[in-house]
Order: sequence, then structure tokens, then C-alpha cells
Amino acid sequence: MNAAWLPLTTLAVSLVAAGVIFLLPEDARRLRTSINLLAAVSKIILVTLMVGRVSQGFEDTFSFQIVGGVEFVLRADALGVMFAGLSSLLWLCTTIYAIGYLEGAANRKRFFGFFSLCVASTLGIALAGNLFTFLIFYEMLTLSTYPLVVHSGTAKALAAGRVYLRYTLTGGVVLLLGVVLLYSLTGDHSFASERGLSPYLNDHRGLLTLIFALLVGGLAVKAAMVPLHGWLPRAMVAPAPVSALLHAVAVVKAGAFGILRVIYDLYGIELSVALGVTTVLAIAASITIIYGSLRAIAQQELKPRLAFSTISQVSYVILGVSLFGPFGTIGALAHLLHQGLMKVTLFFCAGNYAEELGIHRIDEMDGAGKRMPLTSLAFTVGALGMIGLPPIAGFITKWYLGVGAIQAQRYWVVAVLVASSTLNAIYFLPVLHRLWFREGPAHGKGEWPNEQCLGRMETHGWLLWPAVFTAVVSLGAGLLAGLPFSPLDWATRVAVGEYLP
Amino acid sequence: MIASIDYVEVGVAFCLVAAALACLFDRHLKRASSLFLLFALLMSLSWWLFDAPGLALAELVLGLTLTGGSFFYALNAFPATAEKVPHYDRSLHRWSHKVVRAVLALAWSVMIGGAIWFLLPDMAYSPTEHPLIIAAVVIVATAMGAFALHRHMLRRLMAFNVLGSGVFLLLAGMAGTMPGSQALISVGLTIAWLGTLLGVLLIRQLVSLEGLLALESDSDATGHAQ
Amino acid sequence: MIWRFGLYESTFEPQWYSHWALLAILVLPIFIGLLGAFFTPRRLFPVALACLPILLAGALLIVDYLQVGLLRWQWDIAGVELSLRFNGLSGLMLMITQWVGTAAAMYTPGHLQLTNPGKHARWLWPLMGVLISALSLIWLAVDLLTLYAALELMGLAAVGMLLLSGKPDALKAGMRYLLLALVGSLAYLLGVALLLGYWGELDLKSLVEVVEPSPVSWVAAALIGAGLALKAALFPLHGWLTPVHENAWTPVSALHAALVIKASLFMLIMLWGILLPDALFAPRLVAWLGMLAIVWGGLIAWRAESLKTLVASSTVGQLGYLMVAFPLLLGSAVSPLPGALAWEGFWLQLMGHSLAKAAMFMAVGNLIIATGESSIKGLAGTSRRLPLSLLIFGIASVTLMGLPPSAGFTAKWLLLQAMVMTQQWVAVAALLIGTLLTAAYVFRVFRYSFDETAPRHQYQPLAPGMDLIALCLALAAFALGLLAHLPLALLQGGGA
Repeated sequence: MNAAWLPLTTLAVSLVAAGVIFLLPEDARRLRTSINLLAAVSKIILVTLMVGRVSQGFEDTFSFQIVGGVEFVLRADALGVMFAGLSSLLWLCTTIYAIGYLEGAANRKRFFGFFSLCVASTLGIALAGNLFTFLIFYEMLTLSTYPLVVHSGTAKALAAGRVYLRYTLTGGVVLLLGVVLLYSLTGDHSFASERGLSPYLNDHRGLLTLIFALLVGGLAVKAAMVPLHGWLPRAMVAPAPVSALLHAVAVVKAGAFGILRVIYDLYGIELSVALGVTTVLAIAASITIIYGSLRAIAQQELKPRLAFSTISQVSYVILGVSLFGPFGTIGALAHLLHQGLMKVTLFFCAGNYAEELGIHRIDEMDGAGKRMPLTSLAFTVGALGMIGLPPIAGFITKWYLGVGAIQAQRYWVVAVLVASSTLNAIYFLPVLHRLWFREGPAHGKGEWPNEQCLGRMETHGWLLWPAVFTAVVSLGAGLLAGLPFSPLDWATRVAVGEYLP
Repeated sequence: MIASIDYVEVGVAFCLVAAALACLFDRHLKRASSLFLLFALLMSLSWWLFDAPGLALAELVLGLTLTGGSFFYALNAFPATAEKVPHYDRSLHRWSHKVVRAVLALAWSVMIGGAIWFLLPDMAYSPTEHPLIIAAVVIVATAMGAFALHRHMLRRLMAFNVLGSGVFLLLAGMAGTMPGSQALISVGLTIAWLGTLLGVLLIRQLVSLEGLLALESDSDATGHAQ
Repeated sequence: MIWRFGLYESTFEPQWYSHWALLAILVLPIFIGLLGAFFTPRRLFPVALACLPILLAGALLIVDYLQVGLLRWQWDIAGVELSLRFNGLSGLMLMITQWVGTAAAMYTPGHLQLTNPGKHARWLWPLMGVLISALSLIWLAVDLLTLYAALELMGLAAVGMLLLSGKPDALKAGMRYLLLALVGSLAYLLGVALLLGYWGELDLKSLVEVVEPSPVSWVAAALIGAGLALKAALFPLHGWLTPVHENAWTPVSALHAALVIKASLFMLIMLWGILLPDALFAPRLVAWLGMLAIVWGGLIAWRAESLKTLVASSTVGQLGYLMVAFPLLLGSAVSPLPGALAWEGFWLQLMGHSLAKAAMFMAVGNLIIATGESSIKGLAGTSRRLPLSLLIFGIASVTLMGLPPSAGFTAKWLLLQAMVMTQQWVAVAALLIGTLLTAAYVFRVFRYSFDETAPRHQYQPLAPGMDLIALCLALAAFALGLLAHLPLALLQGGGA
């Protein structure tokens, strides 16, 4: 039984929400908020339904023809549903957060409209059943995030938007070229096809490698792999919810997810290994991990530090994929989810500090733990998770990656992991130290840069609870990793069910 | 008998070329318009020689009366204050500008001439038997050059009309006067008149808005046919 | 080529209602236009109502085509054969013409109300009617005489419409356009003269049987090509295009960019297909010029100071995409699959561009009316006050950039695939660079509009429906991209 309506409705929910938000007048604040929340909640319900269907072994598919030989396909498979689940869960949190964050700001209609479009594109990327459909939503994501990046309209934001477009559109063009080359070689190639591209290996080895380079090169721009990462730190001028969305869910993950799709569903892991591209990818990912961490240490402001941390962390996913082993695969897939949860927590907290206390620089954070205990606790959970301390989610992935590296007998990868964790500790622990152990304005020393008492609690409730929630979830994902439907369990299911080499 | 008709044709062809040249390169606009009337009359005569009385009549009505009349209608619009320079195109061109246009026109005539040579092989042996076609080639080439050379809108309009007549003559010369070509020429004549009328209305409007100088300011025409 | 353009005998007679539908699509626009001159519509609904029978007639013809196959009409008037045919391609073009024409007509009352141009504005209606009729005739005609007459009629109507705005600059640009268009049609006529003189045929169906490669057909193709390229504003003969659009009224610009220049292009590809069945050099030349056009058009649009110049220059680049496909459309050396892909991509790109360009002109017209400024810098801060117009501009520009999910993307996809198969890497590069250049100039507009530091000024409110019509056109380009196989199925031939 094929429930074609399910993926379609899930996609349509945010598209319709975007349309309705665009039609509403700017000052219909309550209605807009309700629509946003309603859409986000119904989306979670729909994705939960899909999770149920997939775990029963169904793959709901919706498709129609675009031109001869090219179809538009939405398919709810395990990998896609995993990403869809992440995006819908974090969309709800980010929406709530954004409602609080933009309270009283201008242009909220535009913001939430494109926000919904952005999430619709992310969901489309998750559910895309072939490369053509993937490309459609991938480019839609580029376009719909631009207005979010330049939202504040300042010269800096506009410049960042320009850089963002330069990178992502060029990446998109490269990706398009790769996709066209692939289609003219093989015709329409579904992600669900079992064959992979191995039949073409003997005759078209060079071309396949070229296509792989084009595809992954195009995707790596969004995944912010060094040296294609330049747009990400600049895009930090965007409002905090946008940064959270860009880093944790939408843009960066779309790139990483695309690379997963290319390697697992399009080429097949054996073929990728046979082509020798995984080694190159592993090296590139390692360089990105180390470079991102090093640059993060050099940052004096909180958000850029988090941005470089993202650059480094997302490449764990790529690294895990290129290890060619069950543990590496599980680690990569789980990290896609874990990193999202932890990074979104960190950005929420950074936004809270900036909104409530006007803190942007790290040296202004002294003693903020006393003033904003819950936010700081959440931040601590996220930061420790990033470093990879048990029992937080980040530990699980690093553990699996390490085991995978040893199994694949790539001991240098273990070294990279250790080095990276050390670097993570070097750039996160001082922040935590300042938060909890330094005396600051909360202890009567000096003043906060720009303190506003936004709520009865340490800050506005709409800002606080999403951060706390995601922190609790990342803690839970680590503690309860053994339970069914935990991120790790689902990642294992994906890896075992479909991809195990 | 045949020879005598030939003489008439040669004479008409010669007159046509002369009238066209005079009309194209006379800077005095009123005189040029009058010369255009003469040219149209000769055209009508040559249609008669082509055994196409219908076209001759159409030329008289559309070409001579309506199109020619349109030119005079345009000239009437020029304000009386410009009496000192009565209807005179005073714009000057650089030599390079002229040479480029001349080369352009030459290239045109070579191309057309080549095509015709292929089309009517006997032209090569006895060119004098088709004096009107030769006249048409010369007219087309000169008018093309003049169209590209002139900046004054009225003169360009006139050059277009002469060019059109040359093309019609060529058409009749190459394809004969079968119903199809007659229909094409009639449509062409009508279009030429409508276009001229539209242009003349435009010129009058422009003169009333901006004065005479506006007519010569079209200095940056980038595209030309070929 | 014979098959693609429907130059063969039809198997079945058209249904009885098709004759009336034909009459309706050719005569009704003129008639309704004249009516509009005397009873000037002030609202959108009467216009929509008046357009309805024309749209219905067009739909009827398509229905008949789907049932019967190729429809053909032939008349002999005083020894001159006039013939029309209706195949899938004509149907598609007719549909685009009618719908874009309807949209432009519905947009007009609001525009005239806000700009208040004076009494002569009512002549816009009959001219618009003549234009639509002439365009419909061009899509249907298959003899050189009817094509010539329709082309000229269309050209004169277009010039007339462009002149209505009455500003001196518009008049000068219009005069130049008029002269060039007239000379262009003389070049066409000369080419026809050669064909008629050598083969004695005006009817395309007969001509295609007798024509064979020879210097005459080459010279004729060159003459016809030059004349039509001039009228279609193909690079490098595009100089007249920008000043003309700069000063014209919005609905006129929309019609002109969306339809008028496409008609010349349509004739060009049809006649070259007949005259140069095995040509190699000419289509290559056009393709090289097309690549230059993509780059050049993109660059001048990038540097443009005024909004309308930007939109008009982008037409030059967009036509470049069509020109690049020429070697894949003409010539027998192209293998069937890439040929078919390119053929579909070509028409999809043409239709998508028509819809998007019309929408874009309307959006830009709305922005200019609302802000009172025609420069790009004048847009500063509009994203707050005129989000809908900007959004429409954005949606339309997605099609122009060739990004998904638009017709521009699907068309580009088809063209790219065909080019990859035939290994035309330079053309592939040109197409991809075109995307980036288009993005560069489009996002330049957005950069100014997102500027929040600009001072606020008073905005003129728009008439009802002006934004909505443009939005529908822009979204239609999206729908065309996602459901491309439906219109393209028409190209493959329908009916028995």
C-alpha cells in the first residue's frame, strides 16, 4: 500500500504555510504565530506518521512526470525520514524561538514566509527520490535563505548575502552540471535503485570520477568544507534563529545530506571505494575538521566561534561516510542528528545572551551563569557534547567514528578525532570557565553591555524554553541511545537496512 | 521592335537611377520630396513596362499620392521660424563614417548581384537585356548606403522608400509578374505607405515637442541590417 | 522539419466549429480592440470578459487538433494561394499569445488609470487587438505572403503602441525601431523574391519539396535571417531594443518582449529549417553569437542603472539561450535524441521567457509607479513597503535565472542534456555562466530593495489586480516548468 499523500502533504504543509503567511498583512501577528505553530506541529505529526510507516517497511512514494525521462519523486525512505524528522523537530523549536526573538522587529511577514519556504525546501531535500528532485529543492533552499541572511538590511548583512549567493549559486551551477552529465550518461536514476552505478564503472571510469567531483564539489559548498566555507562565518550577521537554522538544520546539513545521498544511494559505497574517491574525501574532511577548529580558537566573538565549530563538526559526517565500515556509517548518520541538536542549542543560547545581555564577545561572558542559569546550563550541555564528553549525544558519534576508523584500519583518522576533540575543548572550555567560574556583572563587577529584562525569568520564555528543550533532547539522545527510535537506533536501522557494505 | 522597347526600358532605368540618386543625396528636403514624386512616377512607368497595370495603378495611388503626400505633410510641420534654413539637412559626417557606409553598400550590391547572377544566368551574357534589374541593384545598394549614412529622420524615411521600390523592382525582375509577386509587391507598397505615414506622424510630433534639431540627433544607431 | 512545422497534408478535415474558432482568433481581437477604443474600459472585469471568447476559440482549436490532428486551410484568391495550418507548435504559441495578451490587457486599465496619459491612450486597445491578431496569424500561416503581411502588421502595430507614451525619447527610439523594422522586412522580402524567382513557390509546403541547397537558398536564407534577426533583436542587432523598452508603457513592453520578438524568431527558425536543411555553418555562427549575447546581455544588465534597462537587456541575454540551441535544431547531422531534447527545450525556454518577462515588466512597472523612481537605486527600502511586487520580480527572475522549479530550469535542463550529448562544451559553459550572470543582476536589484537605511517616501497605491496578474504570470512559468510534459506533448503531435 502506497500512501503517496503522506510525503506530499508533509511538503505541502510548509509550502502552504509560506503562501498564507505571505498573503497575511504584516500586522496580523497572532494569526501568523498560530499558523506557524500549527504548521510546525502538524508537520511533526506527519513526519511521525512517516517514521511509523518506514519502520513497518513501507516506502511511500509520490511522483509525476516533468519531461520525458525525468520525474519528480518524493519518497519517504529511512535516510530521508531521518533528516525530515530532524528538520521538523528543530523547525518547531526554531519557530518558537524566532517568534520570541523577533518580537517587535520589522519585516516579520517576510521573515516567516521565507523561513517556512526554507523548511519546505529542506524537507523536499530530505524526501527527494532522485537527483533531479533533490536539485530542485537544493536551489530553492539557496534562494529562500537569501532574504533571511540579509534580513537586517544593513550594509554588512547585504555584503554577507552577496558572498553567500556567490558561493552557493556557483556551487549550484557546478552541481547542475554534474547532474546533467550523470543524466545524459545513465538516464533517470532513482535513489531507491539497488544497482548503483557500478554497471558503468568499466567503460566510464574517468567520467564517473568527474561527475562525482562535480556533484560533491557542488554540495561541499553548502556543507562548508574547506576551502569552500567562506560564506558561513560571514552569514553570521543574520538573526540568531537564522544562524541556528542555517547551521543546525537547513543549509549546511543539506550539503552533508546530499553527499550522503550521492555516496550511498547514487554511487553505492563499494563503487565510491572502487573509484578511490572516499580517501580523497576523508582527507578533505580531516583538513576541514582541523582547520575549522583552529580558526574557531582564534575567534573572539561567540557566533563566529560557533560558525567555525560548525564547519569542523559537519565534516565528521563526511569523515564517517568515507570510512567505509558499519560503525563509521552509523557514526556519520547519528552525527547528522546529534550535531543538529547540539548546535541549535548553542546558537539559541548565543542568541539569548545577545538579546538579554547584549553579549557578543566571549570576554563579555564573565559570570553569565549566575544571571542566566538555565541558558548557561543548556550552553554547557551543548558545548560538552561538541567536545564529546559522555553521556551527551556528541560522545556517541565520536565513539562510533573512532571504532569505525580502527575497523577500517585508518589510524590517522583516530588521531584526527583526538586532535579535534582537544581543539574543541580548547575553544569551548574557556567559554564555560568564564560562564561559571569568573566573576562578572552578576557578582557586581562591571556592567552587561546592553541588559534588557525581557521576561519574568532570566529571559523571555519563547527564547528560553527552546534552548532548554534542545539541550534536554541532546542529553537524552546520548543517555537513552539504546532505546528504539533514538537517533542512534534509527541511524543503525538506516545503516543496517540499506547501506551496510 | 524588341530593340525599341529596350531603348525605352534603358531610358526608364537610367531615369530611375538618376531620380533615386538625386532624391537620396539632395540635402534640400523639399526638392528631395519632389524628386521622390518623380521617382514614384517613373516606378509606375516601369510597372507598366513590366505588363503589370494593376501595380502601376497601385504605385500611383500608394507610392506617388499617399507616400509622397506624406512627405509634404511632414515638411509642412516645420516651423516658419526656421525659414532661414528652409528644410535643409545640414548634418556633416566624418570621412570614416562615409567610407564604412560605402563599403557596406558595395558589399550589399555584390551579394545581391551574385544571387541574381546565379538566378538569371542570361544576365551574365547580355546584361543590357535587363536594364531595370541593373537599375534596381544600383538603387538598392545606394539606398542602403544612404539609409545607413543619413541621420535626418525624414531622409532616412525617404531612403527606406527608395530602397523598398528597388526591392520591389528586383522582385518583379526576378520572379516575373505572377499573381504571387504582384500580391507581395502590393502588400509591400501598402506597408511602405503605412510605415511612412507612421514615421511622418512621429516626425511631426517630435518637431512640435522638441524642434527641428531632434530630427538629427539619432546619432547612435547601433544596428543595421547586415 | 517538415513534420515539426506541420508542412504536410492533413488527414482529416477540421470540425465545423474549427472554422469559426479560426475566424474568432483572427478577427475578434481587432474587433474587440476597436470596441475598446470607443468604450474605454476602466476596470479589469470587462476586459477579462471581452477576452474570454478569444481564449475559448483558441482552446477549441487545440481540442480539435487533439482529436483530428493537423488542421489545414487553403484559399485561392486571384491566383494567390494562402494557406494556414494548426499544429501543436502553433497551438502552444497561440495559447501563450492569448494568455499573455489577456494578462497585458487586464493589466492595462489599472496602469492607464494611475499614469493618466491623456485621451490618445484609447488607441492602445485597437493596436493591441491588431497585434494579437497578427501574432496569431504568424503562428498559423504557412505561405510567405501571409507571413510577410502578418509580420508587417505586427511590426507596425508594435511601433504604434510603443509611440503612444509620447515622450520625445520614446518617439526617437520608436522612429529608429520603425526604420530598422521596415528595412528588416525589406531584407526579408528580398529573400522571398529570390525564392520566388528561383523556385516559383510561395507556399511553404510546396517550397519544402523543391528547395535544395544552392547559393540562391543560402543568400535567401542570409537575407531572411538578417531581416528577421534584426526584428527579433538577436545579438548583435539588438541596439534598438533597450531604448524602446525604456520609454514604453508597461503592458506594451510586456507584450513586446514576450511575444513580438518571439514571432520573428519563430519565422526565422521555420524558414531556416526549410532553406538550410543541412547547414552547418550558419547555425554555428548563430550559436557563437548567442554565447556572446548571453555574456554581453548579462553584463549590460548588470551595469544598468534603470530598472527597465535591466529588464530589457536581460532579454538580449535570454534570446542568447535560444540562439545557442540553433545547431541542435537545424541540420541533419544532429542525432535524433539530442535533437528532440533541444527542440523541446527551445520552445519551453521561449514560452517560459515570455511568461516570466511579461511578469517581470509588470512587476517593474508596478514598482516604478509605486515609488515614482525608475532607477535601481530608487528601490531602496521597498522590501518593506512593496513586498508583493518584489516577490513577483523574484519569482519571475527565478525563471530567467533558470533555477528550479521554473520553466527556465526545465528548458535549461533539456538544452544542457542535448548539448552534453553532442559534446558542445562551450555552449554548456555559456548556459551555466548565463545563470550566474543573471543572478548577479537580479540580486543587485534585491540588494537595493533590502536596504533598510533608506529614507521613506510616499508610495502610490496600486490599482486592484495589477500585482495579482503579474503574480499569476510568474507562477504560470513555475507551473510550466513542473508540468512541462503536458505542453511538450502537444509538440509531439496529437490526434489521429
